Amino acid sequence: MKNSTLKVEIDENQVPIIKNSVTPAKKRKKLFTEKTAGYYLVAPAMILIFLIAIWPVLQSFYFSLFDLKLNNPTKSEVHLSYNLNLERYLNNYPFLIGAIDNEIKNGNGAEELQSIKEKLQSLDKKLQRNSNINAKYDSINDRLMNFEQVNPDVSITEIDRNMAKEYEKTAKIINDKIKKMSVSIKFSQEKKLTGLAAGFGDALIQPNFIGLQHYKDNLTTSRMWKAIGNTTTFTIISVLIELVLGLAIALLINKAFFGRGIIRASILIPWAIPTAVSALMWKFLYDGQNGIVAKIFADFGLVDNMEKLLVTDTGAMFSVIFSDVWKTTPYMSLLLLAGLQTIPDSLYEAAAIDGAGKWKQFMKITLPLLKSSILVALLFRTLDAFRVFDLIYVLTGGGPANSTETISILAYKVMFNQTNFGDGSALSVIVFICVAIISMIYIKFLGRDLLNDR
Amino acid sequence: MKKKASPFFYVFLVVFVFVVMFPFLWMLICSVKPAAELFGDKAFTPYTSHPTLENYVSVFVDHPFLRYLWNSTVVATVTTVYTVCVASFAAYAIARLDFKGKTFILGIVLSVSMFPQIATITPIFIFLKNLGLTNSYLGLIIPYTTFTLPLSIWILVTFFRKIPLDLEEAAKIDGASLMQTYWKVIMPLAVPGIFTTAILVFIAAWNEFFFALTINTDEKYKTVPIGIAMFQGQFTIPWGEIAAATVVVSVPLVIMVLIFQRRIVSGLTSGSVKE
Repeated sequence: MKNSTLKVEIDENQVPIIKNSVTPAKKRKKLFTEKTAGYYLVAPAMILIFLIAIWPVLQSFYFSLFDLKLNNPTKSEVHLSYNLNLERYLNNYPFLIGAIDNEIKNGNGAEELQSIKEKLQSLDKKLQRNSNINAKYDSINDRLMNFEQVNPDVSITEIDRNMAKEYEKTAKIINDKIKKMSVSIKFSQEKKLTGLAAGFGDALIQPNFIGLQHYKDNLTTSRMWKAIGNTTTFTIISVLIELVLGLAIALLINKAFFGRGIIRASILIPWAIPTAVSALMWKFLYDGQNGIVAKIFADFGLVDNMEKLLVTDTGAMFSVIFSDVWKTTPYMSLLLLAGLQTIPDSLYEAAAIDGAGKWKQFMKITLPLLKSSILVALLFRTLDAFRVFDLIYVLTGGGPANSTETISILAYKVMFNQTNFGDGSALSVIVFICVAIISMIYIKFLGRDLLNDR
Repeated sequence: MKKKASPFFYVFLVVFVFVVMFPFLWMLICSVKPAAELFGDKAFTPYTSHPTLENYVSVFVDHPFLRYLWNSTVVATVTTVYTVCVASFAAYAIARLDFKGKTFILGIVLSVSMFPQIATITPIFIFLKNLGLTNSYLGLIIPYTTFTLPLSIWILVTFFRKIPLDLEEAAKIDGASLMQTYWKVIMPLAVPGIFTTAILVFIAAWNEFFFALTINTDEKYKTVPIGIAMFQGQFTIPWGEIAAATVVVSVPLVIMVLIFQRRIVSGLTSGSVKE
């Protein structure tokens, strides 16, 4: 494509495309060089890819540094700094003062309570002097008085570290003092007072940045390592079996025969069916009481008892691998067959004339020439297997006793069952890093073959 | 000279096809068995003397299965149309135009196609939740781009590279105008490739599980794979209905595969074989 005569040509040909995709380029079309046109055409796709794939991965890493829990209002967002939940504060402070006043009026520990009240009031004044808080203080207070909803985005206000520390200290002192007093003094509304005093500190939202703590926790728990182990076992065994079987099938059907169409269709059908559906289908076939495949396995002595297939560790892992092999071996053989068909027959004829046997032909011609096809097929299959989710989610749910729990399943459970998105993000970043390492190893073997145009 | 097939070879073919198709055949048989014959003594008989369609009726009556089918169709179709449009521009440029950084761009496309979905779900989920897009069609169409766009660019690039450049030149020399060259030379040649890509993207979007599971939890917006997977009750599993649902989902896919098998094969193998 470096041909200069073509340049003008191509340039003009893609004007219609430019018109559709980029801004009014009609009048300036002659100004478009091939180069800029290329960038314009690639831009929408690249922007989309950046926004929907690359940016989220970076964000996942960022979130993994926080204690992020969606069901916990104080941790449902990323907080790098201290914040004050004004709604909570205003639902507490006026009532706490009121309760204290009430006790003072009744003469219960008046002196000490007076000093507590002063402390609270001076803190409140300081808070009100803060420009962020000042702007919203009254409006939120009014809303609360009228029993109206307050938007959490409005009520959570950033405060500086000194203020936060002072707030924390005050809340602790007040709570301790009132607790202590309640032992010796009989307050008229003891429960209300101690409750409010204990809740006073809750309005302060601590920053939930925890650095690499999630990674440290994960790397030291056995569940994570077991999940990694399960994923690796699943990946290595299933991909190896698929490669050997797929290669054997590809070699066998790489010839002219009657009924190629049927073979091709039966290869494509398992691939085309949604994994979730085929997983459910296998779940039925493996069923301990009524599953036909479980019965066949038991009859052939593969398992000593058909009930054991899905309820024992090895049985479950075997079942998962078997289903995966069933679904993807045909696909693997398809990729390898395409590679085989590019090897010219003349090579085999020449080798046969030179007296090379079948095995020698396979080792010296087929394998070396098929190397890049095999590596590409292996790369995609390994990554797919390592990211396995739907097959296991539907077939075993990670059980029994987490024996088929892969790293993706674990991350999913942490995120959506425990709503612990911080920890889940850390796990997903670990998956990402593993996948990156695996692909780098393959690409090193493949060289730049994969990307070069010719 | 191609090797000839022996009778033994045909035996192997029959066995192969049988093994691959067996689960489907079994599901087909079970879908017409009455409930009592799915369990107990008759669970392993490969026929039934009382065929019934009650499982099929129940799939559509007791479950919002038509709704699932509709949801899947909408999501997969919209995703396919818009991804293939965007991808065809990019792929055309990468395959046909000369500009710097092509290999780099293709490298990014390839790496993104390797991204694990789980690594993008937290930000995407929070983003969609904040916009109120969870439980909507758009809530699936947006994240589906993460795998459909790289896939279609990758396949389309190989297809565009196969279109001979000479034809474009010849048209130009013969005095064809810009529009004529584009519509009469490039488009007809690109259509088969674009169509093949569209089929593969459609199947990928139709079969997607993870995003659909996490983002659309409302019964009204579930797609087929999720809908079927959630047939499993807490205590009992309605196998008869599941078998019927499996057959209902498989039949259109099988027909599609039978019609478009050559295209699908060429699409699947296009990125992986050096010619």
